[in-house]
Amino acid sequence: MRKITIDPITRLEGHGKIEIFLNDEGNCERAYLQIPELRGFEKFSEGRPAEEMPRITPRICGVCPTAHHMASTKALDDLWKVEPTSAAKKIRELMYNAFMAEDHTLHFFFLGGPDFVVGPQAPAAERNILGVIGKVGLEVAGKVIEHRKRLRSVIETIGGKVIHPVCGLPGGVSKPVTEDEKKVFIETAEYAVDFSKFALEIFDNIVLKNKEYVDLILGDVYKHRTYYMGLVDENNKVNFYDGQLRVVDPDGKEFAKFKAQEYLDHIRERVEPWSYM
Amino acid sequence: MAKPKVAFYWCASCGGCEEAVVDLKEDILKVTDAVDIVFWPVALDFKKKDVEALGDGEIAVSFINGAVRTEEQEEMVKLLRTKSGLVVAFGSCAHIGGIPGLGNFWTKDTIFQRVYKEVPSVENPEGTIPEEKTTVDVGELTLPEFYDTVKTLDQTIPVDYYLPGCAPPPDLIMNAVNAILTGELPEKGAVLAPDKSLCDTCPRNETKPEKLSIKEIKRPHEIKLDPEKCFLEQGIICLGLATRSGCGERCIKANMPCRGCFGPVDGVIDQGAKALSAIVSLLGLEGEEKMTEEDVEKLVNGIVDPAGTFYRFSLPSLLRRRIE
Repeated sequence: MRKITIDPITRLEGHGKIEIFLNDEGNCERAYLQIPELRGFEKFSEGRPAEEMPRITPRICGVCPTAHHMASTKALDDLWKVEPTSAAKKIRELMYNAFMAEDHTLHFFFLGGPDFVVGPQAPAAERNILGVIGKVGLEVAGKVIEHRKRLRSVIETIGGKVIHPVCGLPGGVSKPVTEDEKKVFIETAEYAVDFSKFALEIFDNIVLKNKEYVDLILGDVYKHRTYYMGLVDENNKVNFYDGQLRVVDPDGKEFAKFKAQEYLDHIRERVEPWSYM
Repeated sequence: MAKPKVAFYWCASCGGCEEAVVDLKEDILKVTDAVDIVFWPVALDFKKKDVEALGDGEIAVSFINGAVRTEEQEEMVKLLRTKSGLVVAFGSCAHIGGIPGLGNFWTKDTIFQRVYKEVPSVENPEGTIPEEKTTVDVGELTLPEFYDTVKTLDQTIPVDYYLPGCAPPPDLIMNAVNAILTGELPEKGAVLAPDKSLCDTCPRNETKPEKLSIKEIKRPHEIKLDPEKCFLEQGIICLGLATRSGCGERCIKANMPCRGCFGPVDGVIDQGAKALSAIVSLLGLEGEEKMTEEDVEKLVNGIVDPAGTFYRFSLPSLLRRRIE
């Protein structure tokens, strides 16, 4: 059987290889996404003091370390049975939302976006952030950089390091926010909202106004019907920092809703012999 | 003149070193103007075969992050070594092992047992574990070997320079890039960061008493952390005295103690032993003569997980690599 190998997969965090087996007609018979690596956090975290976990688990992913830092920190609240003070909760939520905004910008302009912005037919050598800069211009690139710089500076001010924050403690954070920092945070938030509107406009102009791209997005080739899971508040509205986990089916109907502490009642991992993860 | 070719690669790592390059902000445009990036999986679509197609030494410099944990990582760094004039070990994991290096407390089998069979969320009644070769009905699938031991980059290939940190800060990265572009490089084998201890540059150095004596070890969540006072003076384990400076004291400024990600200063091979001996020698220094054996034991036992604390980032760089 003929085989196409994509090695390594690119423009995402982590290692991966895709093997596509083709049938006699040259169509895909079977495809495998293999993760050829493992580090073993599940084992080497054993024996470490619990309060150190927010400084260890971020290394699961350095592109989204704030997510792992926050998950560990919240687990510590639960372990020590302490409710963070209102100020600490707000500081954490601010840091987390700043992360969500800058990380999505990374995804749109650097990682996933080049497929749309530069275009699906563009040569491999141009399908990247440099190609995006070529297409949208240096001025826009400057805005993207400025937006991420400001948001990441919010995370750094609160968390110490933007790549692998250190501030999370059971029931709180390691330091308060000063009045001067607060002023900068407010300006940053306003800048970020303006930038986001501008980024949506870019998406509108370059992607949604291009019939070829829209056909590709809405067509069958890349359609994947799947379930979705996310944190929601009491009104089922998205909340990145707190709330319950809600799973919806491919039609958007609620399938399950549960507290993080009840994850074992709902989530299972499967082991395949051909992938480390 | 053709621009110098540059590669970035990751081994057992997290992608944080990739983010550190993107965090060069405006400077990233200067870098991409000055060089041709020929391989960078996180950002560009070049494949392994594109690297194989390059001539030996054709890449001016490869920045490699991550520790070496698998056969594939070993193959890739050997390939990049052949194709590159210079190799820079980028970040803590490539430099001294990093967080994935904590895997050296265990073996391949004990890690697999936990990850694939014992983790509470795993459902694996057949006891399946990943295999290097799996036959499926359409053909064969392979995985690289998972080694028993995590190695640093220079335990695998010769390394020309080291950029420390988890992740390295932008100023040190830009200094390194500029040094490479202008050819003004220090002696081979150099760590491209100041040869000073973190204590020397720490903003709290002034509150560190001349004669430090730790009466009781505290854990960071057990006290209200004083934002001005030396952590050791507060009884909090801080690795600043055994760790290289250059990080910008980012953790300290967030009111959290150092965990040693920059590795040791020049001339020190075993950062963990250095930290251990330095800190233990400060325990109960005042009034030592009045302490009973029991007091001493209680004081020392205040350090929970000494190995995982003093070797948090540097376990693979240990002289005796494996804890048997």
